[in-house]
Amino acid sequence: MIEAALPGAAVEVSDETGTGDHLSAMVSAPQFAGLSRLDQHRLVKAAVKERFDDGTIHALSLKTEAAG
Amino acid sequence: MADTELKQKVEELIASNPVLLFMKGTPEMPRCGFSMRVVQVLDTLDVEYGAVDVLPALQPLREVTAEISDWQTFPQLYVNGELLGGADIVEEMLDSGELAEALGVEQPEAAPAPAGAPAQSPPLQIE
Repeated sequence: MIEAALPGAAVEVSDETGTGDHLSAMVSAPQFAGLSRLDQHRLVKAAVKERFDDGTIHALSLKTEAAG
Repeated sequence: MADTELKQKVEELIASNPVLLFMKGTPEMPRCGFSMRVVQVLDTLDVEYGAVDVLPALQPLREVTAEISDWQTFPQLYVNGELLGGADIVEEMLDSGELAEALGVEQPEAAPAPAGAPAQSPPLQIE
């Protein structure tokens, strides 16, 4: 889902609790270049908003960096 | 559309508190692991801050902060009227020294690794 919103992104997701709804993601994307961390997180959260809205994900811990 | 009266209150709080944390629960009794992590970071730096428990009005406050800062999840840490971020960003900023700088305090000698987060070495820098 994140990869679809941010083509070329490298995404590594881990399940923090084993329940599948508390996730942690490391996202490295070329689209992040020049953006603040806030804006990088905004992009990722927008990409997965649907899953938050439908309750599939409760919590997502993020670490982002510009790729390339 | 957010409640305008609530929005005004939130804007006043942000303006009148140099360091303000919107969190789930209270600093003494956080009700969410992410909120607890930010409390721990602020305690590490020994700074005074205002704290607002968002749980009594979670959804209205989400709508308000979405309009003010384009950010809907809590915790949210504001310093001098600006949103710095949630737990992940605040911890990264602690480790990098940016948070101490933004708060105008000294960086602690060795910031303790935040609970639950794997220790990561910062990128090497050559002056």
